Amino acid sequence: MNFEYFWPNMVKVWTGYWQDIIFNGLRITLQFAAVAVLMGVLLGTIVAILKMSRSKIVRFLITVYIEVIRGTPILLQLFIFVFALPQVLPALNLTTPQWTAVALSINSSAYVSEIIRSGIQSVDKGQTEAARSLGLSSGQAMLRIILPQAVRNILPTLGNEFIMMIKETSLASTFFIGDLMTKYKTIQGATYIAFETLLIIGLIYLCITYPLSKLVGWFEKKMSDDSGSGKKRIKHATYESGDLEGVGGGGEPNADLKATHTARDVTVRGRLGGFGLKK
Amino acid sequence: MEMIKTVGLHKSFGALHVLTGVNQTIEKGEVVSIIGPSGGGKSTFLRCLNLLEMPEQGQIFFEGTEITGNPAPGQPAPKRRKGAEPVDIDIHRQKMGMVFQNFNVFPHLTVAENITLAPVMLKKKTQAQADDMAKELLNRVGLLEKYDERPGNLSGGQKQRLAIVRALAMEPDVMLFDEPTSALDPEMVGEVLDVIKGLVDSGMTSVIVTHEMGFAREVSDRVLFMAEGNILEQGSPDQVFNHPAHPRLQDFLRKVL
Repeated sequence: MNFEYFWPNMVKVWTGYWQDIIFNGLRITLQFAAVAVLMGVLLGTIVAILKMSRSKIVRFLITVYIEVIRGTPILLQLFIFVFALPQVLPALNLTTPQWTAVALSINSSAYVSEIIRSGIQSVDKGQTEAARSLGLSSGQAMLRIILPQAVRNILPTLGNEFIMMIKETSLASTFFIGDLMTKYKTIQGATYIAFETLLIIGLIYLCITYPLSKLVGWFEKKMSDDSGSGKKRIKHATYESGDLEGVGGGGEPNADLKATHTARDVTVRGRLGGFGLKK
Repeated sequence: MEMIKTVGLHKSFGALHVLTGVNQTIEKGEVVSIIGPSGGGKSTFLRCLNLLEMPEQGQIFFEGTEITGNPAPGQPAPKRRKGAEPVDIDIHRQKMGMVFQNFNVFPHLTVAENITLAPVMLKKKTQAQADDMAKELLNRVGLLEKYDERPGNLSGGQKQRLAIVRALAMEPDVMLFDEPTSALDPEMVGEVLDVIKGLVDSGMTSVIVTHEMGFAREVSDRVLFMAEGNILEQGSPDQVFNHPAHPRLQDFLRKVL
């Protein structure tokens, strides 16, 4: 490769296309990611609730839904939604970008549902018991005691999901939806400058994801600092350690929460990018 | 008057048979302590009383009403949706205060909100009435200055005192204490026991699962010794602690006293 043209090419691509990259490419990338995560939260909440259903059949169907979506590549899902489904359901009459958004939303819903479910389940069981022992119904306990605490665990992880989605949208450039990655293709096609264009596009992704992941990290820390659980709980080792009777574990609650949190990120995502995960 | 009566309570966790047909009657105004080795079924028995654990077999009468929905011996099982709770348990739970080993105060609410949430939500009190009551209760346990703080700023002993008045705010007929001092630093045990003692002295019917033998001896009208899933011996504190009959109890007391 000839580096003689590196800076001239960088300048050429940037000055010639920066408006297109920022105001079209970046905008569309962020729009797709935002729509996917917002729809993902709506669908994912429903999926999460159904996953905790009493009905075995419902639970089974939801598990299949989640596992199929998390177990297949997002690019394959995009192909199904953009190429196959319009033939099966021509009546829907959606455009390619619309089908893309649907595919990304469905994909996100599977991950978000697990984020929500584990967020709820990471709230100490003793909280439910205390609420129920006061006479609150299970719905009241969920609404006033469990969910407000679960949100603390859920929000930062949803931030990670958004960061993840920003990067995932690049796969949809296969269909020229006009996102950042599509811009690379069109600019490269027009100028035959590949490397410098990729570099610029890559830097733009970074400029968005890096501050966002810092923000999520800050938020996460703030949430756990505010969570108000006691710092010190001494449990008499002679009593109840590993005993069935013990109500919840002893030990340090924050540590428990942190552990499940990190473990969740790993299990839930199963596809860790460079960002969106602390440590 | 009978406050709580259990008939043949059985509870298993998987293969582990934790309660093996417990029969017990607790009278109104009575203070009953439950002692015994870990894994003997003390906490499970207590948690069955307000159905935090659902006994598979046997009945619980609370103030004369059967609350488990389990059939009486020899009767056919009533039709009930699997996993569904008997409909009125929330009402009964309002009359049974419970205090947990791990406090389980609500960390996202202020100290005052911890106390007022349930009475207001369940329409026992208006917010203003509940606020007044919270002040009075907190004053009683020396936590009034923490009124607007979050429980995260409280020590273990303070959290447990908060948990006790949170339960009292529902004006229960009986208080269930599940090892209320086991998770506390030793120097904080006293302050919590003082609050419980004040409460039982005021005539509150109480069932206390505890490892504090001195306390059980001091406050109880009756002491139950539970091991191997049943009540092996019971009687006045003097009988149980000074003249134990069952070899299992003699052995237990030798180890803990």
